[in-house]
Amino acid sequence: MWRLKDILLNLVGTKCLNCGHVFYPPKAACPKCSSRNVKKVSLGTSGKVITYTVVNVPIEGFESMSPLIIALVDTGGGKVLTQLTNVKPDEVYVGMEVEATVRRSATTLDGYVPYIIKFKPKERYS
Amino acid sequence: MSKVYVVGVGMSNVGRFYERSLRDLAAEALFKAIDDSGNLTPEYVVVSNMLSSQAEQENLASLIADYCGLRGSSGFKVEAACGSGGAAVLVGYSLVASGLAKVVAVVGVEKLSERTTPEVARGLAYAADADFELPYGISFSGLNALVMRYYMMKYNVKREEMSAWPVLMHENGYYNPYAHLRMRITVDDVIKSPVIADPIRLLDSCPISDGAAAVILTSEELARKYNDTPVLIAGIGNALDSTDISSRYELDTFLASKLSAERAFKLAKLSPKDVDVAELHDAYSINGVVTLEDVGFAPKGMGAKLVAEGRFRIGDKPVINPSGGLKSRGHPVGATGVYQVCEVVMQLRGDFPGVKVGGEVGLTQNIGGVGSNITTIILRR
Repeated sequence: MWRLKDILLNLVGTKCLNCGHVFYPPKAACPKCSSRNVKKVSLGTSGKVITYTVVNVPIEGFESMSPLIIALVDTGGGKVLTQLTNVKPDEVYVGMEVEATVRRSATTLDGYVPYIIKFKPKERYS
Repeated sequence: MSKVYVVGVGMSNVGRFYERSLRDLAAEALFKAIDDSGNLTPEYVVVSNMLSSQAEQENLASLIADYCGLRGSSGFKVEAACGSGGAAVLVGYSLVASGLAKVVAVVGVEKLSERTTPEVARGLAYAADADFELPYGISFSGLNALVMRYYMMKYNVKREEMSAWPVLMHENGYYNPYAHLRMRITVDDVIKSPVIADPIRLLDSCPISDGAAAVILTSEELARKYNDTPVLIAGIGNALDSTDISSRYELDTFLASKLSAERAFKLAKLSPKDVDVAELHDAYSINGVVTLEDVGFAPKGMGAKLVAEGRFRIGDKPVINPSGGLKSRGHPVGATGVYQVCEVVMQLRGDFPGVKVGGEVGLTQNIGGVGSNITTIILRR
């Protein structure tokens, strides 16, 4: 996990300098035009839920965090698969505005406690 | 390039076999296939499997070849997640087509019943992106659920319409003596079954199965000499998409399903309207529906609706999943693609012991990952 800290904590995607395509997760070349002329870009810290699920049957290691709310969030820069937090399963809807926050993930099978970006409902300030 | 024929098929039952080992299941399938071929001796044993490392066993080609009296033959394992079986048949095809071998056995095998569901679910999730998806704890059911919700919203598909798929699968699988789950279900049963990963319910999901299937592939010359009912591999194609689903261009289309089918049809000089019988990879109802569209059997957004209207059952063209599909026949993960080929070959020969379709042209499509590694095979009598 350590080698991924910048990416997982900063939401970094890739922009193709040849065709302009922006995508996440980062790749060494552009999936659309195969150009290796790509650079890391920040994806932004807020977005909208495109689709989501509530996982009731966890994979090994995530039993204590179940049920998990997993969403695909469109940040405008790219789509990001993420976990939603600070929200109940029946409060989530497609189109919901969310923002990034740092949270703990499940302990890995080899004993590390990773911190990752999750998304929470966008707070409104009046 | 030499033409390649399937001259022998063999399957074990699909189910949970606590008393049987991986090598034992593989031997049953391989011996049945060799016997069915007219006793050809394989020069190569190509094995497909995804998760044997969970039982601390790799190097499966040596294990199986030697256990089955084929010490000194050639071989190796092919891995493409749940799409391993189709990929292994493609490798076997290449060995014969290139002339490197005259007789190749492809053996798919999976043995998971000793493992707990969370362990197997984690193993299956290794087909997703380990750096960018696994840390979120997403399961395979969860990833497919993201696709299912998106698809149902985009095309205004009702829960009842989506449920027609598993009902049809169980109707077909009820007659398949090899099938894991031989029971009939209703739309109401599907809608009331427990939620695995919303909106995917238990009866949208395939079971985790044990099983082994094998095919014997050979050249035209030997096929005609030893076998009265050889079935030609008329076309074969594989395609890849992203491992992650975040960077997909479209969530409701499997690019690799479309591309692998196009490649197979091009090689066979055939089109979707020529297909009489197909075995598609319905790990979840949504996979069946999406690939029905991407292969070219239904317009985009209409797959579930057409199944609900009564299409694709016996008497229609094509008939989809007369075996019962992954939903009812079961999903012995790395073996599934080989089961599909055995089933379609038997349909074309007329000796499949369940729902009988017959016909001239058959198709199989085997998926690894969430549509990320797909092999399509076209078979012709």
